[in-house]
Amino acid sequence: MNSVKKIFFVALICCGLLLSADAVYAMHIAEGILPLHWAALWFAVAIPFVAFGLYSLNKRSRDDLSFKPLAGLMTAVIFIISCMPIPVPLAGTCSHPCGTGISGILVGPSISVVIAAAALLIQAIFLAHGGLSTLGANIVSMGVMGSFTGYLTFKLLRSFRMNIAVAGFTAGLFANWATYLMTSVELASGIKGDTTFLPLFWKILVAFIPTQLPLGILEGAMTAGMVVLLYKKRPDLLIKMRVIKPTEAAMHRQGITALVAALCITGAALSAAAPADAAKWSGVDEVVIEKVASEHGREAGATLIDLEQGDIGLFLFLIAGALGGFAAGYYWRSILAERGQSLDDPKEMRPEKQR
Amino acid sequence: MILSGYIHNGDHWLSRMDARVKIISTLILLAMVLTCEGTSFPLFLLLCGAGLCVNMKIRSRMLLMRFLEPLFIVAVLFILKVFFSGNVPMFSFEFMGMTVTGFREGFMEGMRLGCRITGAVMIVAVLGFSTPFNQFIAGLSWLKIPRGFIEISLFAYRYIFMLFEDAMVIYSAQKNRLGYSTIRRSLNSFGILAGALVIKAFDQSQKTTVAMTQRGYDGVMPAPEHKPFKLLEIGGGLSVIIVMGILWKIW
Repeated sequence: MNSVKKIFFVALICCGLLLSADAVYAMHIAEGILPLHWAALWFAVAIPFVAFGLYSLNKRSRDDLSFKPLAGLMTAVIFIISCMPIPVPLAGTCSHPCGTGISGILVGPSISVVIAAAALLIQAIFLAHGGLSTLGANIVSMGVMGSFTGYLTFKLLRSFRMNIAVAGFTAGLFANWATYLMTSVELASGIKGDTTFLPLFWKILVAFIPTQLPLGILEGAMTAGMVVLLYKKRPDLLIKMRVIKPTEAAMHRQGITALVAALCITGAALSAAAPADAAKWSGVDEVVIEKVASEHGREAGATLIDLEQGDIGLFLFLIAGALGGFAAGYYWRSILAERGQSLDDPKEMRPEKQR
Repeated sequence: MILSGYIHNGDHWLSRMDARVKIISTLILLAMVLTCEGTSFPLFLLLCGAGLCVNMKIRSRMLLMRFLEPLFIVAVLFILKVFFSGNVPMFSFEFMGMTVTGFREGFMEGMRLGCRITGAVMIVAVLGFSTPFNQFIAGLSWLKIPRGFIEISLFAYRYIFMLFEDAMVIYSAQKNRLGYSTIRRSLNSFGILAGALVIKAFDQSQKTTVAMTQRGYDGVMPAPEHKPFKLLEIGGGLSVIIVMGILWKIW
């Protein structure tokens, strides 16, 4: 049997296995898969990342006391997200997202490694997802690869001023796929025995494809949904997490105002630039209705309110300006104020001393 | 969720044992399983572990759910090994016009891998069933695991259940409003659910910090206290390791 047939056969068997399963949690490398020396090697790879993550965590929590509780709660969130099965359409089964892409985006990749390590430890003890001996390998694949890929993809796309939803989707997608790429490397190196690495690596990668290809897309969509929700509802949170700059959030709100203003100005400019003889063009009233009416003996009378006569136009313009100015003055805070200053609470509007 | 069915039998002698002794014994047994060349030793540990779980009154469904993922992985790896490793044919059959051959070396390797995985999973499962998480973390702090990691794990464990309840409330509300009727809506709903959890986590962290600061929190949580070792527990742990070490050497 040639290699193409072999790969096809493996994929077919794995699809069958996946289809037969109700809920598959093929996320982490399970306990006991890796021989001791490979398990030790992956621990050695993971330790510097975890150490640097802990250093960053301590540094940030010195500036902000709430950061350690926040990291703990983020760990709980990642744990819950990675426990929630979501349907994988092509495989006809359920799997669960990694969640490290979003944590990498929110708290930074180094701290996200620590968060992933803590979540993996709890999963290993409670749920037998992963294990103690494979904790190092799982930290490298999920924590390091997932977090750094998600973070770097997001930052790169945002540096090109890409839409936050697109950046979030791509970050989640790549974080998921990078995790499984690394998992395939770890698995292949761990179980290859006397055989060569690459053929086994490709077989494992092919075995992952039925679930992970669509799951990556699903995780990307989930990450995009989360980022967009936070951007719309709680930009202050994203500012605190240093995902976006305060100016960007303000620009987002002012952008809408600027767009409306630009449209108004463009409209005014276009009307001003219109040819002078445009006013001479006759309308449908004059061309059709007046013509038919005069044929039947009903000549057109004088206009009741003729805007071209006297200062009525100027008067209406003044009234419109007054109303517009009043509305703009009334709502200016909601256009320019920071998100933290809620308009719903009158106390927020008062100066600090009056509270 | 499996967590909701987690039962810790506090009356069992293994549950009363010092967590540090259990953690060290587990790590040594894991090292033995991972370096074992045969199938007898991991299978023996699997049987011993299953017996202990039955003795601790762990429900069989719970045990089965623990093994669901590892067994799936064992199945995939076994198939990979049987059909793609080795030279000596053991059996063959026709499948969709192709002759599929299983190899003897691959079969043996697959069996060895399967036994190793199930044996190792059982060791950790026994540790998990017999040790409350707080004690486990206290044991890790005794092993000089960095303080920051211990604190984050404790925070996470404390809030998992609260956030999980919140997640379930949101999920039920979304599901009742047909939020999961199509794939597109499912994705949207799941994104909102996850985002709402992050917002709740953020708000809760602020409240927790205020409450902890009022109680004197200065950025460092007090380290878990350790009771002195009991001679009987150390002796018991050592005996198990010595007996298993001899079996590991023989098998």
